[in-house]
Formats: sequence, structure tokens, C-alpha cells
Amino acid sequence: MDQQRATYVSALVYTAVSLLGSVAFLAATTLRGDYNWVARLGGAGWVFLLLMIILMPTVTPWVKKRLGGRQG
Amino acid sequence: MSEGKVKEVTLPVAGMSCAACVNKVEKALEGLKGVASARVNLAAAKAGVEYDPAACSLADMEQAIAGVGYEVPWDRIELLVLGMMGTHCQQNIERAVGALDGVARVQVNLGTDTVTVDYTASLISAAQIRKVIRDLGYQVSDKAEGEASLDRERQARQQEIRRQLVNLLIAAPLGLLVMAGTFRDYWVLHTFIPSFLGNKYVLWGLATPVVLGPGRQFFVNSFNGLRRGVTDMNLLYATGIGAAYFIAVINTFWPNAGFGGEKATFYESAALLTTFIVLGRYLEAVTRGRTSEAIRKLMKLQPKRARVLRDGEELDVLADEVQVGDICLVRPGESIPVDGVVSEGYSAVDESMISGESLPVEKRAGDEVIGGTINKTGAFRFRATRVGKETALAQIIKLVENAQATKAPIQRLSDTVARHFILGVHMLALGVFLFWFFGGFNWWFDPNSHFILSPWELSGLQVFGFSLLLSVTVLVISCPCAVGLATPSAIMAGSGLGAQNGILFKGADAMEATAKLQTVIFDKTGTLTRGEPSVTEVVSLDGRQDEVLRLAAIAEKNSEHPLGEAIVRAAQERGLAVPDAEEFAAIPGHGVEARHNGSLILLGNRRLMAQRQVALGPLLTEAERLEQDGKTAMFVAAGDQARGVVAVADTLKDSSARAVQELHRLGLEVAMITGDNRRTAQAIARQVGIDRVLAEVLPEDKAAEVRKLQEQGRRVAMVGDGINDAPALAQADVGLAIGSGTDVAKETGHVILVKDDLLDVVGAIQIARFTMRKVRQNLAWAFGYNTAAIPLGAGILYPFFAQVVSPELAAFLMAISSLSVTLNAMSMRGFRPPIRRGGRPAEVARQEARGIGQPVEELR
Repeated sequence: MDQQRATYVSALVYTAVSLLGSVAFLAATTLRGDYNWVARLGGAGWVFLLLMIILMPTVTPWVKKRLGGRQG
Repeated sequence: MSEGKVKEVTLPVAGMSCAACVNKVEKALEGLKGVASARVNLAAAKAGVEYDPAACSLADMEQAIAGVGYEVPWDRIELLVLGMMGTHCQQNIERAVGALDGVARVQVNLGTDTVTVDYTASLISAAQIRKVIRDLGYQVSDKAEGEASLDRERQARQQEIRRQLVNLLIAAPLGLLVMAGTFRDYWVLHTFIPSFLGNKYVLWGLATPVVLGPGRQFFVNSFNGLRRGVTDMNLLYATGIGAAYFIAVINTFWPNAGFGGEKATFYESAALLTTFIVLGRYLEAVTRGRTSEAIRKLMKLQPKRARVLRDGEELDVLADEVQVGDICLVRPGESIPVDGVVSEGYSAVDESMISGESLPVEKRAGDEVIGGTINKTGAFRFRATRVGKETALAQIIKLVENAQATKAPIQRLSDTVARHFILGVHMLALGVFLFWFFGGFNWWFDPNSHFILSPWELSGLQVFGFSLLLSVTVLVISCPCAVGLATPSAIMAGSGLGAQNGILFKGADAMEATAKLQTVIFDKTGTLTRGEPSVTEVVSLDGRQDEVLRLAAIAEKNSEHPLGEAIVRAAQERGLAVPDAEEFAAIPGHGVEARHNGSLILLGNRRLMAQRQVALGPLLTEAERLEQDGKTAMFVAAGDQARGVVAVADTLKDSSARAVQELHRLGLEVAMITGDNRRTAQAIARQVGIDRVLAEVLPEDKAAEVRKLQEQGRRVAMVGDGINDAPALAQADVGLAIGSGTDVAKETGHVILVKDDLLDVVGAIQIARFTMRKVRQNLAWAFGYNTAAIPLGAGILYPFFAQVVSPELAAFLMAISSLSVTLNAMSMRGFRPPIRRGGRPAEVARQEARGIGQPVEELR
């Protein structure tokens, strides 16, 4: 149950942060430069993917440790 | 964890290809309840796990390993079991065998009377499994001879080689076709490459099977890892291949989507990237097996069958079914099946594979023989003393395997780098993408620019395609495979080299510590010296030395004192008749007196001679000279007349002087530790050229002396026998237990020297230094490659030369990098420590001619 909860919470955290990152990218491309929509969306997608890859293995053990620590 | 008993098991793990895989497997195992620690060795493809059997089973571990995308190739035995009557028999066997420590799985097939057991040989032997089934009342034999002893690890490696070869055979031709089609419009290629091959839909049709076939493994493995929160090399490949393929597909079917259009179909990148990565994996699988060749050679030595004498009948049985006490028969040319003691016959045995001794060793009744060695000349019988996992060979194999499964401290650096590398590389790829997207492209992009070593122009690319391309190249070029392989591949080859020379390193840390030694301390008695006194000089007033020795031997004939035994032995060796004395009396603290043919013989010290008023004259000067050299001088008198002096001392081993000299040549300080008085110790030290003497040290204080040297900042080795000197060996940075013979498992110490030869101390240091040199070369290459390659991949050359590395070139460089590290480790094969290459240094020969290290008497 704890394991499931940790997985759920971490998925929520890394997805949210990755989404925020790609939204920030979109915002930056809108505010700066003259990019077409393909570049903007493609770039946002790539940023999202890389952020997910970076955050999944870092957030998951962190959340598991925190949740485990609190209960234990 | 603390409630249960912690056990240790070594599991084979197949399918690992890089340091990140190691991290992944370690994490998976350590995540299991009941696992205290897990350490994985990439080169050995083994995981050493400390676990509580009550909380965690081998099947749990297998599941965890499989969960992150790897396999456990268990040892397997297939048995023909007769007498099984139904399902309850099946259950009995499954329950009994399944409960054994080290058994992962039992399958009983009643239809074929077959029992198949998956187990790990690090915890249980096939013979023990057979015995358990036999004890249940069934008849057991091997299903197919030899099958049980199949090397599962080699099988798994061959499977991996086959799998990657099939992948390569699919990827390479298709990749080349894609490349030919892509570059068709360049140079003269259009004259012989058909036009249809340049069609983007054909290219899509050719590249897709490469990405989804051979490339599928990277997507599946990285997904499995990500699900568990771990990353590995597969992720780099998957993102690289996936991104290249994804853009190519978009540009093929939606050319106006702005990803670079029809001119930017990177099918050749996706296909060749896959091809080169698969090529790298294939070559690695082929070569990595070769670094462990030494241990394989040792394993091959294990004889399969034995001929034993039971109830007067000669039986041919499996070697691991020989029991202690069995009489075994060995003919010329045959392998000796188990360890034992010769009971009958005479022969010469080749023990080079165990001890590194190149000459055959003579064996006669009472001599020990070692299982796995080869009988050369005569036939003999021997009584088995150690069988199965207790034999010297089995112990050596286990020791070397354990050593290969450990990690050298130097590996911590590469492990730490590899552990954080993947994430770091993805962060870098993100940084590179953002840099080129928001700045670099606008500042430097030139539509006429090229990939390095490629005619491809980047004109079709726009800001997103270009930034993505460099980002992908960084992912591919950064693979730290070489970093992960650098240390274990060399350590593995080094431990094997040691084993071939009778030098057993107990772990990679022992190997590294040996290479860094500054001081070597030898225990004196039994290590530098033979450990038993012998007559070194006889001085006679009238020149009749034999007569003096004969008189001394007559007086000592009934003595049990070691000095007396040495005198009697020396007389017998010279062929002197030593009759019994009519009377004999020991005078404590003085010597002995005996009567022979009516004449009184005295043998003893100055006090005895003074008591009996025997005038010593010039013998006193001779005695002082001998005592200065650390020898015990005993005066001999007969009929109240002084006749001479017999000097007795513990003599140096033949190899002592040369070993010390070679250690000096290696830049080490050499010390000697002994309980003897300072004068005797100094005399011995002078003879061999020892720098530092630690004399009058009680056995229990030896460890403290070692510690004192360590406190001075020196890295200290202690050489001694593994039993008496155990505390000092344990205290030293490296304890070298010498002359352990065949009982290697009982030895204390970090390095076990099978032979009683001090030159092996030098050999151990030479092998360790050679190995660590290879480790450093490998690390320098691996880190150097990544340090140089990452900026290249990130486009550092682009602002200056308008050239970038293509993803496929990046994959090629990455494959070459890990291959070069493995090849460097493979080049260690055939290394012989210089001390064993034959030829004695001229200086040593000169010293020996001057009598250094030799009993004086022998040279006169």
C-alpha cells in the first residue's frame, strides 16, 4: 500500500514538474525569438521527455524514502 | 535483518553491459526485504549478496534481477531418478531439494523420470543434491553425462553473443542500405545505387525493422528500469534512436511540419546508431568472456571421473562422488580426481596449474597429491582426504571467483561517476538543446555546414531539428560503458594471472593495496629461514672436522633437543657412523655429556667447559666470530681435550636473498620481525640485506609492531605463515600467507601464496602493480574519451569549423571506446611476472657465490 502510494505520489511530482518545465519552455519561446509552432511544441515535447527521464529516477527514491521514513 | 542469520551467495547475472547495469541490479537486490548488501561485478557478471534466508529466497532475487531486465543463468543439473511412483514422490523430492540452501528451483518430470535442479554452486554442490535424493530412497544418476557440468555462465554468454549477432545481421545490411539510399545523390554514388533506394518511403521501410527489431531491446530495457526509478545506458540509446527515428518519420509523412523537411530524414542515423550500438554489444560479449579465461581454465581442470577401489573392486565413478577415505587409482597421463595422500606407487606429478611450479613434483607413499593436477610418469594409489568443495582446486576457484566479484577501492570513483552519469548526460543534453535552441542556432548556424566525415549538408534543418540533433548526439556519445568496464575487466584478468602463478588475491582491494605497498615485513623463522636449525660450520683444532662432528653426534644421539637433532642429521648426511653412547646425561643450561669406548665426550657452552676445566685456547675466538654471525656455537671436548666447535643456526631459504633484493629493486623497504635476540636477528638481516630489524618481539606483539609502522604512514605488508602470524597478517595493509599448500581456505591474510617460495611475494607485487597499471590506463582512456567526446557531441567545434558529430559517428566512437578497454585488459593474458621469467640477476649470483643466504659449511 505504502509502495503504491509512493509510486503514485512520485509520478504526480515528476509529471507535474516536467509539465511545468515544458510550459516554461513554451512561455520562453513565446516571449523571446520568432519560433514557429512546430519548433515550440516539438521543443516543449523534448524538454518534457528529458525532464521526465531526469526526474523519474531522482524523485521516485526520494519520495519512497520520505514516505517510508515518516511511517517508520 | 538482525534476527536472521546472514548468508552470502554469489549469483551469476547475464545481460549486463555497463556500469549503470551494475547499479540497476544492485539497487534491485538491495531493495529486497532481507538483503543486507549486494555488490555486482560487471566483468565477472556476478552478484555477491548478503541476505537473510528467512526473509528472502533465491527466487526473490532472481525475480528482482529479471524485473530490471537481466537473467540469472543458474547452474543446472539434470538427474535420472528411478523409483518415483507418483505425485507424492514428486512432492517429496521437490520439498527436500527445494529446502536446500542454494537451490533456486526443482522440477520433477515423472514421465521421463527426470529431476532438473537450478542451483548456485557457491552454496551447494551437485553431489549434495544427488545425495539428498538418494537418501530419500531413489536411484540417482546423471541424465546425460557431462551435461550437469555445463558451464551455464558460458552458455548465457554464448546466448548473448548469438542474440547480438542475429541483431547485427539484421541491422548491418539494412543500415548500410539505408545509408546508401540516403547518400545516393552525393559524388558518383547515383551511378550504381538504384534510384528507388533513395525514396523516403523505401528508407522508412528499411529503417523501421532495424529500430523495432534489434533496437527494441533498448526501449524495453530502459522502460523496465524507469518503472523502478533507475536509469541505464539503454535509456541513452533509446532516446537517441527514438528521437532520430521520430524526426525522420515526421519529415517523411508530414514534411511541412517544420522538423527540417524531406532533406532531414535521419533514417540512416537511427539505423546506423542501432547498428553500431549492437556491434559494440556483440564485440563486448565476445571479448569480455576472454578476460575470465584463467578461471575457466581452472574450472576445466576439475576432473569429471575417478577410479576408486571399493570392496576390492575397481569402480569408475563421478569425481564428486569420491568419498573421504576412498582409495583412488591413477595411471600415467590421468588427472588426479581429488586431494589425497599417496599410499602406494611412485610418480611425478605436474602441479603447475595449481602452484605455478613448472617442474613435475615427485610423489611417493606419504606425499600429498592435489586434485586436478596431472600424473606424468608412474601409476599410484592414494587415499582421498578432501573431496567435492573441500579440494584445493575447488577452494582456489571459489577464492578467485570471490576476488573477481569484489570491487577495488579505485572502482568507487568510476562507480560514482557511472551512477550519476546517465542523469548528468540527460541534464547536459537538455542544456545543449536549450543553448542551441535559444542562442547557438541564431549565432552560428550555417546551412552549408556538414557532419564530420560526412557529405551531408545541414541545410534542411531548422532551429528545432538542429538543436535536437546535437542533444541526441550528446546522449549517444556520452555512454560511460568504458568507465564501468575499466576496473573490473583488468582486476579479473589480474586475479586469473595470480591464480596461474600460485598467487591468490582474496579480493580486488587486496590487489590494489598490494600494488601500493611501501614496506614488506618478513617473519623470520619459517619464512625467511627454513625454521629448523642446521649445522652451518664445524671448526676443528687439528683439521679433522668430520671427527669433531662425529663426536658431537655420538653425544647428542639420544637427545631430543632440536640442536642435537641438527647435529645428528648433519653427521648422517655426511655418511659418518654415529654409534650409540654407553652413557648419556643432559646437563641443563650447559650441554650434554656422554661416554663412548670408555672416553668422556662433552658438548656444550663455555660454562660446561670451564666447570670441567677444559682449556679452549683459540676456539674461543672462533666461537665469538660464529656468535657474531648469530649462530649457536657448541664446544666439543673428548678425554678432557678441546677438539673443536660446532655452529648451529637456522639457515636462510634459497630464495630469501633474491626476494629481498628484488623487493629493493621495486623500491620497497624490507623489514624482518622475530622473537630472537637483536644480535642473531641482525646477523640474519645482514646476510640478506634487510633494512629494518624488529627483534625480540613476542608473537602476540607482532601485530602491534606492524601497527607502529602503519602509524608512521607506511603501507605495510606482512609475510608469514597464515596460522602463527594470523594477527599480524590481519593488521597489515596486506597480509601474505606463504606456503599454505593446498589448504587455502583456512588461511588468514589477503594474499595466499600456494608455494613456500619467497619469490612469490615479489611476483604478487609485480602482478598487482601490472594490473593496477592496466586499470589506470583503462580509466584514463575511458574518462579521457568521455571528457573529449562530450564537448564534440555538444557542438563545440561548430562555431569555428561548422562541423558537428553525427549520431552514428557518436555511436561508433562509443563502441570503439569500450572495445579498447576490454582489449587492453585482454592484452594482460600471457603476462608472466618478471621474477618468473627465468634468469638470475648477475648481482644475486655474485652474492650467492660470496655465501650470502647459504649455510657457510656448504660453501667451504
